[in-house]
Amino acid sequence: MDPVTPPFLADLCVVLAALAAAAAAGWLANRDIAANLTRREKLAWALATGLLLQAIAVLVLLGVGTRPNAWKILVLEAAGATLATLATKSWRPSSQPAAVGGSGRALGALLWFVAGAAWLVFLAGSLADSMWSTDFLAFWGYKGQIVFLTGEIPRRLFRDPALYFAHAEYPFLVPLTFEALASFLGRWNDQALALVYPICSLATLLAISGFLARRVSRVSGAAAAALASLCVFLYRPANAGTAEIPLALGLVLASSAALDFLDQGGVANAGRLAVASLFCATLKQEGSLFVLVLAVMLWWRLRRVAPQKGRWLATASLVFPVATHGLLMRIARGSLPSRDFDFSLFEPSRWPELTNRFGLVVGRIVGTQARHALLPILALAVYFLVTRKAIADRLIPVFVTQLLVYAAAFTISAFGPTFAIDTALDRLTMSLFPAFTLVLGARLPTAFTSSVGESRTRLRPASETAGS
Amino acid sequence: MGRARLRGVLAVLSLLVLAASLASTLSPQETRARLDRLSQAISGVRGWRSDRASFWFDPDYAAFLDEVKRRTPESSTVAILVPQAPDLYLYQAMYRLAPRRVVEERWKNEADFIATYRSEAARGPGGAAITGGMLWTR
Repeated sequence: MDPVTPPFLADLCVVLAALAAAAAAGWLANRDIAANLTRREKLAWALATGLLLQAIAVLVLLGVGTRPNAWKILVLEAAGATLATLATKSWRPSSQPAAVGGSGRALGALLWFVAGAAWLVFLAGSLADSMWSTDFLAFWGYKGQIVFLTGEIPRRLFRDPALYFAHAEYPFLVPLTFEALASFLGRWNDQALALVYPICSLATLLAISGFLARRVSRVSGAAAAALASLCVFLYRPANAGTAEIPLALGLVLASSAALDFLDQGGVANAGRLAVASLFCATLKQEGSLFVLVLAVMLWWRLRRVAPQKGRWLATASLVFPVATHGLLMRIARGSLPSRDFDFSLFEPSRWPELTNRFGLVVGRIVGTQARHALLPILALAVYFLVTRKAIADRLIPVFVTQLLVYAAAFTISAFGPTFAIDTALDRLTMSLFPAFTLVLGARLPTAFTSSVGESRTRLRPASETAGS
Repeated sequence: MGRARLRGVLAVLSLLVLAASLASTLSPQETRARLDRLSQAISGVRGWRSDRASFWFDPDYAAFLDEVKRRTPESSTVAILVPQAPDLYLYQAMYRLAPRRVVEERWKNEADFIATYRSEAARGPGGAAITGGMLWTR
């Protein structure tokens, strides 16, 4: 290897440029729907939207039988962004962008220092080796590499019985992102491609801190971002190459857009709900689940809001992208047998077994997993006792429902409940954590005030603007 | 100390405990080792392999897969007879040999090549010896 021209560094710069180009396209596409957000939030939304545009560009190129390369992707990204800007031109909110407020600049800076240090550790860890997690080798990276090397999405990715472990049912945003970035490079360098993970993690921290700075306070935002950055179980090199880290970004974006819609309504916020929904759905089924639960929460919360247009708008913005994506995937790959779940457990003759299994799941989660996490659970309990209800508490039922559905899924796992819990529970829970920091961060100022509802943000009922 | 102040202190303390618990799995030793590997990757040290860490379960396996890759065309199907555990033997073969179709022993009748690694099957006749195993053309 020639030390004068280190290819890794050169490849890393190309991947960074490709991600920057995607984010620039995303920024342009979001110009109107994200007009009222802080710059930090705009960057996070730009990355998510850019990754979607990039994947759509790759799909279009593969669809017309052309091998993707940097220029073709850039042209299509720019075209997609321009179309999105034209389509959403009238959606721009009439009010001015919110100013980041609150005191505590020094404390905020200290918390950002902590978040920055944790992020740097994750950055270095992710880029130290080529991606190596089992999920990356067995499906995310494998599929991306196959698409890149063959210039198509071969049927065998869905139909080959020898790929029984490669989760044919999984969505394609992660593999298509790898394909797009490798097309910019002109070769497959899975060490340089790993850059997408620290960039997604950075976008997540920016989205958390930007949202809370806008809606609660600067310190709340910085504290929540610092907490999220320290979630080492999620932000660790073993998760580079999987869908969990981008999914965490999607969940934060969906949660923040939902809270904005609840309090402000508006077509721009509905547009953001739709973007976040598509981003989550194209990453993993857990993302679709979260978005659908969020849609139910919005439907319930907006039940007394008039006009009802806002209620339908919010729900449709979340459900339509998930349904469309599901339908397209179904058309592309056909019907697939379920390998992960044993639905015969729902037959009346197996109900006793189902009950036993659910007991096992609860016992395992409460008895083993929760015991290991006793200290952080106690800390959370104390935090909820000494703080008061805040704007993001409306997300709590969504997190609880998501966890209950996970427990139900473990119960009917075809590999047995304990195996599923031991291999997946921590990872699934941790991908929810960054979105959960919105709840924690929003509650922080209430610990220092003597009366309820002294949050900086005055909540406007959605009825004022919903559906406008 | 006022009640609000006490609540504030407790809130901050509980967040600190939560943060410390979250970060407790971070290993300074592993972080230092990764920083070393990153610096080697950036400086382009001779003989550096970015995938070395991914063969933690069997460092010799990488050379075997390299040789199978060299000796088989990209359009071929390769049956891989490797240890069952850890499953990374199979996943690494699939990933490193892509876009070749890699199958397990049960589908060996569909294969153009059969590669065996540290397996009793390697003692059979007709195969070519490769690093760490044997390769049969069918």
